[in-house]
Order: sequence, then C-alpha cells, then structure tokens
Amino acid sequence: MSTFIIAIILGIGFGFSLNKAGLTKYHKIANQFRFTDMTILKYMMTAIIVAMTGLYIFRGLGWVTFPTVPATYIVGNLIGGLIFGVGMALAGY
Amino acid sequence: MNRIKAFISQESWSPYLAGILLGIVGLLAVLLANTLLGASGAFESIAGLIGKKIAPSVFSNIYWGVEGGRAMPVIRPEINWSVILLVGIFFGGTLAAISSRTFKFRFNDDTQWKRIFGPQPWKRWVLGFLGAVIVAYGSGIAGGCTSGLAISVVCCLCQPLSYLWRDLWFLASSPF
Repeated sequence: MSTFIIAIILGIGFGFSLNKAGLTKYHKIANQFRFTDMTILKYMMTAIIVAMTGLYIFRGLGWVTFPTVPATYIVGNLIGGLIFGVGMALAGY
Repeated sequence: MNRIKAFISQESWSPYLAGILLGIVGLLAVLLANTLLGASGAFESIAGLIGKKIAPSVFSNIYWGVEGGRAMPVIRPEINWSVILLVGIFFGGTLAAISSRTFKFRFNDDTQWKRIFGPQPWKRWVLGFLGAVIVAYGSGIAGGCTSGLAISVVCCLCQPLSYLWRDLWFLASSPF
C-alpha cells in the first residue's frame, strides 16, 4: 500500500514536470522532430544526467541496487522504435 | 514566499529545470520503490485487464499470460505500480495546469496544427487516435516507450489514451 502512495506522489511530480516543460503541446513535439525546437532533448537529457549521476552515487553508497531492466533485443527495439516514432510524429502528443 | 508562488505559477519552466525535477523523481522511484519509471506497460496492463474480462480467449496468449500456463507473461494484467503512477501523472499534469491557470478543455487549438491540417477538431482526433495506435504497437514491440527505455524519461504523452487525456488533461498550451 505504501508503495502505491509513493507511486501517486512520484506520478504527480512526473506529470507536473512534463506540463511545466511544455511537453503537452503539439508544436513542442512536432518541432522537435523537425529540429527547430530542442526543448524535448534538453528536458530528457537533463533528466537522464541527473538520474544517472544520482543512481550511480547511490549505488556507490550502497543505498540502492539497480532494478532489472528489460534485456536488449536489437531487432525488436529497432523496429518498435521506428513504428513508435511514426506514431508519435503523427499524433503529436 | 510570494516569489515562490510566482515561480510555480509560471506557465512553463526552463526545460533544464523541469528535467532536473524529472531526474529527481526517477531517482526517488529507484530509491523508494526499486522501480523504474515507465508508462507504456501500464497501458498494456489495463488493456489486458479489460481484455481478459471481455474476451478471455483472445487475450489468453503469451503476451498477457495463459491461465495455468508456466511461461511468465510479458505484461501482467493487473493494477500494479506503474498503473498507479499513471494516475499520479494525470493529477500532476492537472495540478501544473491549474497552478499556471491554463487548465481548459481543448479540442484543437494549436496554431501550428491548424495551419498545416486545418481547424476541424475531428481531424485532430482521428489523426491523434491513429498515431496513438501506432505508438502503442511500436512500444509493445520495442518493449517500452520513451520513459521505460531511456532510464525514466518522457513518454506518457504518446500512448493510446493519452491523446484523449491531453484534452481532458490540462494543456498548458499557450493560448495562441
């Protein structure tokens, strides 16, 4: 139960930051793919850097063990990613 | 205090700042719940849950698991952590839009979209729906969406229902 409360709170943080970064707007998404607006990349890369640095520090301190991540299977990831991109550019959300 | 209020009620933050917030959220997810952020799996769990009720024979496959089968399902049809996370994302987006006073029901108000495709809302809905179906299919094959596959990032804006959500959701989109 307590993990569900954590999930709600973290979800609120997630949604809040998505909205404030402007990722809920069509033109931000579409213009990223046309390379005329780099908001999404700036946002994603900042998040990755913060999370990655923190995670490795926490692991070094012994506070966390990394959760299992889905194994890479190149063909699936590639084809899936391509289809995903088509859909995302089409929907623009 | 007033400065903090004024800061929160800004319509959009610097993407770097919002990115730091998301990074911290992703970090806390691992620290507190030992889970990675992700959203596409949640949509698939919900779909499986509904599908198993409506058409059990169709949804009894390797993907959602077979009753009494030994193989682990790819997606467990259940209310799990990421489904709850999704609920939180919904409210987080709503909260952010309310905080910047841009909460509004919108059907098609993006000027760029209107310029390219025309002003009719139904076009927006049809294209959004088709795009979302393709996105969901792609994320199913790839085994995740943007968030799950890149440590814990974006996504959620690109899932089947998200397009409906966007309208119900918040849309801090600029008035023009």
